Amino acid sequence: MIIEAPSNRSILAIVLATLLLAVAGCGKSTESSPQAAADRQPEGEPEPGGDLLVALQADGKTLDPHKASDAASMRLSENLYCTLFRYAPEYGEIEPHLVADYAFSDDHLQLDLTLHSGIRFHSGRVLRASDVQFSLLRMKTSAGRRQQFTALDSVEVLAPDKVRLTLSQPMAPLLTFLAHPMSAILDQELVEKHDGNIDRVDAGSGPFSLVEWKNDLHCKMKRFDDYHVENRPFLDTLTFRPIPDDTARMIALRNNEIHMILDVAARNQRTLSNVPSVKLETVPGTFWEYLGMNTTRKPFDQVKVRQAVAWAIDRAMLNKLVKFDQAIPLMGGHIPPGHWAHAEELETYPERDLQKARELLAEAGYPDGFDTVLKVGSDYSYQVNAAEAVKQFLQEVGIDVRVQAMESSLFFDSLGSGNFDMTLVGWLGAVDPDEFTYPIFHTDAQWNQQGYSDSEVDGWLEAGRRTFDRSARRDIYQKVQARIARDAPMAFLYANARTVAMQGTVYGFVPHATVSSIFLRDTWLDE
Amino acid sequence: MIVYIAKRLAVALPVLLGISMLAFALIHLVPGDPVTAMLGIQYNEEQAIELRAQYGLDKPMVVQYLVWLRHVLTGDLGHSMLHDQSVARAILERLPVTLQLAVGSVLLALVVSVPLGIAAAMRQHRAPDILASTFGLLGISIPNFWLGTMLTLLFALVLGWLPSGGYISPTEDLVGNLRYMLLPTLALSGAVAAVILRMTRSSMLEVIRMDYIDMARAKGASPRRVVWVHALKNALIPVLTIVGIQIGYLLGGSVVIEQIFTLPGIGRLAVQSINARDYPMLQGVILFVAVSFVFINLIVDILYAWLNPRIRL
Amino acid sequence: MREFWYQLRRHKPAMLGLVVLSLMAVAAIGAPWLSPHDPYAMQVEHVLGSPTPQYLMGTDQKGRDIFSRVLHGARISFKVGSIAVTIALFAGTAIGLIAAYYGGIVDFLLSRVVDVLFAFPDILLALAIMAILGPSLTNVMIAIGIVYIPIFARVARGSALSVKHESFVEAAHSMGVSNFTIIRRHILPNISAPLIVQATLSFAFAILAEAALSFLGLGVEPDTPSWGILLSRGKDWMGEAWWIAFFPGIAITLAVLSCNLLGDGLRDLLDPKARKAS
Repeated sequence: MIIEAPSNRSILAIVLATLLLAVAGCGKSTESSPQAAADRQPEGEPEPGGDLLVALQADGKTLDPHKASDAASMRLSENLYCTLFRYAPEYGEIEPHLVADYAFSDDHLQLDLTLHSGIRFHSGRVLRASDVQFSLLRMKTSAGRRQQFTALDSVEVLAPDKVRLTLSQPMAPLLTFLAHPMSAILDQELVEKHDGNIDRVDAGSGPFSLVEWKNDLHCKMKRFDDYHVENRPFLDTLTFRPIPDDTARMIALRNNEIHMILDVAARNQRTLSNVPSVKLETVPGTFWEYLGMNTTRKPFDQVKVRQAVAWAIDRAMLNKLVKFDQAIPLMGGHIPPGHWAHAEELETYPERDLQKARELLAEAGYPDGFDTVLKVGSDYSYQVNAAEAVKQFLQEVGIDVRVQAMESSLFFDSLGSGNFDMTLVGWLGAVDPDEFTYPIFHTDAQWNQQGYSDSEVDGWLEAGRRTFDRSARRDIYQKVQARIARDAPMAFLYANARTVAMQGTVYGFVPHATVSSIFLRDTWLDE
Repeated sequence: MIVYIAKRLAVALPVLLGISMLAFALIHLVPGDPVTAMLGIQYNEEQAIELRAQYGLDKPMVVQYLVWLRHVLTGDLGHSMLHDQSVARAILERLPVTLQLAVGSVLLALVVSVPLGIAAAMRQHRAPDILASTFGLLGISIPNFWLGTMLTLLFALVLGWLPSGGYISPTEDLVGNLRYMLLPTLALSGAVAAVILRMTRSSMLEVIRMDYIDMARAKGASPRRVVWVHALKNALIPVLTIVGIQIGYLLGGSVVIEQIFTLPGIGRLAVQSINARDYPMLQGVILFVAVSFVFINLIVDILYAWLNPRIRL
Repeated sequence: MREFWYQLRRHKPAMLGLVVLSLMAVAAIGAPWLSPHDPYAMQVEHVLGSPTPQYLMGTDQKGRDIFSRVLHGARISFKVGSIAVTIALFAGTAIGLIAAYYGGIVDFLLSRVVDVLFAFPDILLALAIMAILGPSLTNVMIAIGIVYIPIFARVARGSALSVKHESFVEAAHSMGVSNFTIIRRHILPNISAPLIVQATLSFAFAILAEAALSFLGLGVEPDTPSWGILLSRGKDWMGEAWWIAFFPGIAITLAVLSCNLLGDGLRDLLDPKARKAS
C-alpha cells in the first residue's frame, strides 16, 4: 500500500493494513489477553456435550435459507441445513459436504454429483437426489438465491444418489456458489407439506435441529444425532439470543451470560480484550461499507457529482470516529486486502481533497452544492454514526444532507426499490470475487441498487464467470474495481476486520472471514 | 352493589366502542392504501385480494367497521406481517412479561411507599417528611428511561451483578427470571412509588384530623393501633384509586423500559410494529392495552365502591 | 395579582422552581450565543473525552461538546413543551367548556370522547399518532399536544360546572348576554387557576414525552441534539463514557423537577380546595 505524503492518520492506516495483510498471509490470527492466552490450548480431546449460548445482533426474520437476506436469519438457518459443498476453515477454500464425489464435463457445462449414502433429514427421511433437484430448482426462482443460478439450465436425477446439473454457460464460481451456506438442500416432502412456506419450519439435515424459536427471546436448537459427519456436532444444544444493543451484548459476554459474540463491534474490542475470561480472535473480514448514490436520480446521475462526494469524504477520520481505527479505509477498490483479487496498487481517492470536490461540483453545475437525503438503517448504530459524520463532511462542500434513520425492513425495502438518493450501508462479500461485484454492479443484477450501468463492466463481469484461470480472473476483477472506483456509484468507506469474542471455555470454533457460523458444528465446551 | 356495577358497565360500554372505532381508524388514517400498509414489504397481489375480502375493504366504511368488529369480538385481531403470526397470539405470548413487570412495579412501589407515606404524615414537617417529599418529587421528575440507563450503568456495567437486558421465563428458571426483571422493575416503579407516597401522605394527614380518629383515641386505643388500623384503612382507599390510574402510566412506561432492557413484552411489540409499519399488530396492541385499561379501572372503581359504600349513593 | 405575586415569592419551593425554569429558558433562548463550542463540530482529537474545564460535560463519540449540545437540547425541549401545552390547553379548554356549558347530550358525547382518549396510555397514544404522522419535530409537538387534550378538557369541565350555577352567571344569562360572552367574561376567568396549574405540570410531562419519543427513535431526526436523542445515543456508549448519557438526564430531571415544584406551589396558592386539604 503506497500513500503519497502520509499524514499521521494514513500512517496508522498503513500499519494496520500491513498488519492485516501479514495476518491474512498466515491464515488466521489470535488476539487475546495474556491470561486467556495461557489456557488457550484445549486440554485433551474435544468433549461432547454442553449448551452453548450465542448472541446475535438482531432476531432472524425467516428460517428459510433460500429467502434469508439478513445476517441473523442466515446464522440461524445455516446451522439447521446442509449444503452440497461447504466453506473449509481456510478462507477461500471449499470442500464437499453432502457430496461424496463430483465431476465436471470437459466443456464445464455439466456437473455430476454423487451424494453420500444414508443422509437423513431431521424428519427422519433419507435425503435423495430428488431433494437436491427440488432444492436447486427452488433456488433458481427464490429471491435470495436466484442471482447465482441464472446459468443453471436443468437438474436431472440420474440415480437415487446422483444428479446432473446442466449449465447454459461455464461458471467458474459454481462450486463456491453451491458452498454458500444458504444454498441449502431442503426436505422436499416437508416443504410441500407446508405449501412452500418454511419461514418457521426446519426442513434441514444439518448438525442441529430446531427445538423452538420465540421471537426476540431465543432460537433453540439441539444436536441432530443422525448428522452424517461422524462425531459431530459436539454440543448438546445451541441457543441463539438476539441482543440488539452493542453495549448490552458486550456486558452479557463479560458477565458470563452468553458464550459467544460472532462479530464484535469495533468499539467493544478494547474493553473486551481487558477481560481475562474472554478471548478474541480476529481475521480479515469481507464486510465492507459504502456510501451509495442513486445514479438514476439527479444530481447523482452525473459522475462528477459522485466523484466530488468520494473526494469530500475523510475515510481515515471516519475510520477513527466510527471504527476506532479497527477497519481498513478503502481508497481504491473494494475487494479487501487478503483476498487474491484485491487491487493493491489502486488508489483512486488517496486522501480527502475538498478543492477537487468543489471543482467537480462546479463543473457539474452545482457550484453551491445541493440538498439531499441520506437513508440509513436505524438498527445499525455504527452506520447511523457514520452517516452523521458524512453529513458534516459534505456540508463543507455545500451539500446539505438530511440523515433519515429507518427501521431495517423498510430501509432495505427502499434500497431494493431504488427509492433513495444516498445511503450508507454495507455488503458482505462471500468468497469468490464474483460475489463482491456481479450482484451489485452488473446492469441487470438483482442488488444493483445504485442503478449503475457500464457495458464494459458488464462484459468484464460476464467474462469473469467464464474464465477459470485465476491470474486471468485477477486481471479482470482489478479492471472492474478500477472502473467502479472511478465512476463512484458507491464511495467506498472501509473494510471491516471480523472478530469473534468467546469465553475461554469455548474451543474449536473457526472464525471465517464471511461471518458464517457453520463451524459451531466443530465447537465444544470445556466446563 | 349490582346496580352500581351495572351502572359502571353502562358507562364503560360507549368508551369501549369509542376505543374500537379509534383503533379501527388507525389503519385508515395511515397515508396510502390500507392493504398496502398492512402488507408492507411482503406485498403480493394474492394476499392483497385475500385481505380486501377479509376486511371487506370494498364495502362502505360502516360495513367495514362492523366486519372488523365481529372479527375482534371473536378474538381474531388479524395477522401480523412481521413474524408471520396471528396478532392475538403474539400479544398473548408477550403478555406475561409486561404483566410481571407492571405488577412487580406496583407491589414494589406499595411496599416502599405506604410505610414511608405514613411515617411522613406522622412526623409532618420533620426529617422523615422532608425525606419523603424529596423522594416523591424526584420520583416523578426523573425520567424512567434515564433511571433505567443509570441502573444498568451501575449494576450491570460497573458492578457486574445483574444482566443489562434480556429475559428468561420464570417457568424455566425462577432465579434467572428475577435477575433479569429486577432492574426494569426498579426503573419502572420509581415514579409509581413517588405518586403513591404523595397520595398516602396527604390522605393520611386528612384522615388523622377526622372525628372518628379522635373518637378512637378517646376510647383508649393505643396510638399505634389508631394509626395502623383505623387511619390506614381509610387512607388506603384513595391510594387504591391512584394505583388504578397508575396502571395507564405503567402500560405506557413499559414501552420505554422494555425497549431499554430488551424485554419481549407488549410495549416492545408496539415499538417494533411501528418501526416495521406492521399496522395490524399496532392496531391489536393499542386496542388490547386500551381495553385492558378500561377493565382494570372498572375493577378498581367497583373495589372502591365496595370498600367505601358512601360512594354508591 | 400583586398579592398573588407576594405569596408566590414567599413560597420557597415554587420560587426555586420558577428561578431554575427561568434560567433554563434563558439558556434555551440564548443557546447559540452561550454555547462554548459548536454543538455539531466533530473533533477527532476529543473523541469520548471526560469532563474537563474546557468541556464541562465531556465530549461524545464524535468529539462534540456535550454541554453545548445540552444547551441546544433545552431549546428543543422548551419549544416542544410550550407549543404542545398550548395546543392541549386551547383544544382541551374549548372541549371542557362546551361540555360543561351546554350539558346534556353534548356533555355526554364529549365526555365519552375524552374518556376514550384517556384509556390510551400517553406514550402509546403519542407513538400511534407519530406512526400516522411520521417523525419530525412539528409532529412531535402535535402528537404530544393531542395526548394532553383530555386532561385539560376534564379540568376545564369540572371547574366550569362548579361556577356555571353561580349567581353572576345566572344573572348574565337573564340579562340576555350571549353564550360566548358569558364563557369568555364570566366562566373563563374563574376557571383559569386550575388550568394554569395543569399547564405547568403538563409542561413537565411534555418534556418527558418528547425525550421518551426521541429515545425510542420515533421523535425528532437522529442528529438533532434533543435531550431524548442525546440520552439514547449516550446509552449506546455507556461502557466507554458514562457522561454522554448522564448529563442530558440531569438536564431533563432538573427541568421537570422545577415544573413540578412550581406547579405544586401554584396549586397551593391558586386552588383553594387543594390548599385546604394540605
